[in-house]
Amino acid sequence: MSVYALETEALGVSFGRFRAVDGVSLKVAKGELRVLLGANGAGKTTLMDLISGRTRSTSGRVLLNGRDVTNLREYRIARAGIGRKFQIPSIFTGLTVRQNIEVAQSHHPGVFSNLRIGRSAADRARVEEVIDLVGLSDQMKTEAGTLSHGQIQWLELGMLMIQSPDVILLDEPTAGMTQAETGKTAAIINRLKGNQTMLVVEHDMAFVRDIAEKITVLHLGRVLAEGTVAEIESDAAVRAAYLGSQEISAC
Amino acid sequence: MTSLLTNYRIWAYLLFFAVLLALPLTGDDFWLNRVAKYLCFGMLGAAIALTWGYAGVLNLGQGLFFGLGAYAMAMPLKLASYTSLQQGSDQPVPDFMLWNAQPGASTDLCCITPGSWLWIPFQSQWFGVAMAIIAPVIVATLLGRLIFGQRISGVFVSIITLALVLLARLLLVDAQPLTNGFNGLTDLGYFNLFGTELDPYAVTTYYVITIALIVVLVLARLLVATRAGTVLQATRDSQTRALYLGYDVPAYQTFFFAVSAAISGLAGMLYVVVAEFASPSFLDLTFSVSMVVWAAVGGRGSILGACIGAILINVLEARASETEALVEAWKAIVGLVFVLVVIWLPQGLGGFAHDMMRRLTGRWRPEALKQEVRQ
Ligand SMILES: Nc1ncnc2c1ncn2[C@@H]1O[C@H](COP(=O)(O)OP(=O)(O)O)[C@@H](O)[C@H]1O
Ligand SMILES: [Mg+2]
Repeated sequence: MSVYALETEALGVSFGRFRAVDGVSLKVAKGELRVLLGANGAGKTTLMDLISGRTRSTSGRVLLNGRDVTNLREYRIARAGIGRKFQIPSIFTGLTVRQNIEVAQSHHPGVFSNLRIGRSAADRARVEEVIDLVGLSDQMKTEAGTLSHGQIQWLELGMLMIQSPDVILLDEPTAGMTQAETGKTAAIINRLKGNQTMLVVEHDMAFVRDIAEKITVLHLGRVLAEGTVAEIESDAAVRAAYLGSQEISAC
Repeated sequence: MTSLLTNYRIWAYLLFFAVLLALPLTGDDFWLNRVAKYLCFGMLGAAIALTWGYAGVLNLGQGLFFGLGAYAMAMPLKLASYTSLQQGSDQPVPDFMLWNAQPGASTDLCCITPGSWLWIPFQSQWFGVAMAIIAPVIVATLLGRLIFGQRISGVFVSIITLALVLLARLLLVDAQPLTNGFNGLTDLGYFNLFGTELDPYAVTTYYVITIALIVVLVLARLLVATRAGTVLQATRDSQTRALYLGYDVPAYQTFFFAVSAAISGLAGMLYVVVAEFASPSFLDLTFSVSMVVWAAVGGRGSILGACIGAILINVLEARASETEALVEAWKAIVGLVFVLVVIWLPQGLGGFAHDMMRRLTGRWRPEALKQEVRQ
């Protein structure tokens, strides 16, 4: 088995003659949290689309724990262990927070095997652990439709986590959140750090400083730089790429 | 798990069952017979809540399943009636078949009219009972496979079920030699339950129906409390997401659709026992729409609520019909109540009671309030 949970090898895609992602190689270790940084249009979302199978790549490979999952169908990649948070919130609004997590914890697809009440002690413990991790213990019995924007994002994160994916992809998880909500999201991600491999696209520099270990900067579909927060912030090439802007947060 | 005894839902069910079981103490056989009919309608309310409230599938043709159950029971009761037994043949023959028979035709059930042989197995009342459940389940399963397998949802399901019940009504009336057409099946005998004849006005009959209703409500409530029930509600909110989580969504929808059909078939069967007739009016569009109104007023999100809604509206209607001035106004009143409920109580009386209980037990707190408290 590979020591890397997720690897991309010279991954790329062309839309017509335009190379949105142009030979990106990443190695994300097990339990690592990697932040993807880059200006609008740098290809961050497209890179996630390639990894999760939403978009078919035209070159390169994607490896999950050393296993080639390049261009498999989206649901097969999800089942192989790459979980992605949905862009549009897609929680079950009529169910409680707890029920949402329980439904996501699926062992059986069919109706007859689910004709029983209650779940195993282990399953219940895991449900409560995840709800606690995403900070929704007080909302356990709240109908998901009445949650705030931030709470909905955390619930989705919980629904993702209960499926125990090997790698979680998060595209701008704090978009639209208040400062307080952003802080709480950082806390959740920090709690997962070390146990859960994550690839996170984020613009908010304060948030990135809060969570990041290692950052990869994308520019025009290519890897421009890779390093710690301090290294990236003082990187000349990164600064130049942002047209002389003094702060990366300008991106 | 919260203690069962502190769960007010359990108490609501128990209270309702206690009221039903105590009702014969009033000693009014006439009303008991009427209420027994409305209990059958209560089953229909629960059946609608199961699909509409829990699966988001609005069936506008529930009368089809009720009708199937009703005819499956009416056939053996017709054969058991005095008029059928007095036709001078070895086997009982429904009177209307004799009126329809060609001169000189054999007066046996096998061949008196084309297709009359279909009645032969219905000489057994228990065959009728079985068919009253099995036929709706088969139709619902086939229909469900077709509709849900094609990912048809929302208003299209309603339109298809509506068209289907009207088509079935047409066929039923058209098959006059077999079904007595418009006139339906009347002059029925009594159901014989292990030696006891179920006289529609007897307390025993009332209790048989009450117990059937209690069993239906408890089973339906347990069913939606299973994991499958939760998944079903998830499919109501987002089919795509449920599919993405790996669930066989059409199987869930079809299963609960079939359970709802089985309950409706049972309701139709028991209705015939107390009402002593089956008619194509059971497949009228207005009847199927009425069921939806009962469930909406009672609360489609609550099996008990929808059931009580159906019973309450019918009891009130019967009371109103005793007052001359209200007879004409009644339809308008029900219509008005429906509109008001839809506007102000979208979850019906059941949802309203639920909110009240949460408020009283202090568990109900709007999120907005909570946020304010925190800041
Ligand atoms: N399906 C597509 N067809 C054509 N161009 C696309 C498609 N998807 C993305 N692009 C282009 O690829 C570039 C990278 O987009 P994206 O990955 O969304 O950037 P980011 O997420 O880094 O802001 C953009 O210029 C975008 O217009
Ligand atoms: Mg993007």
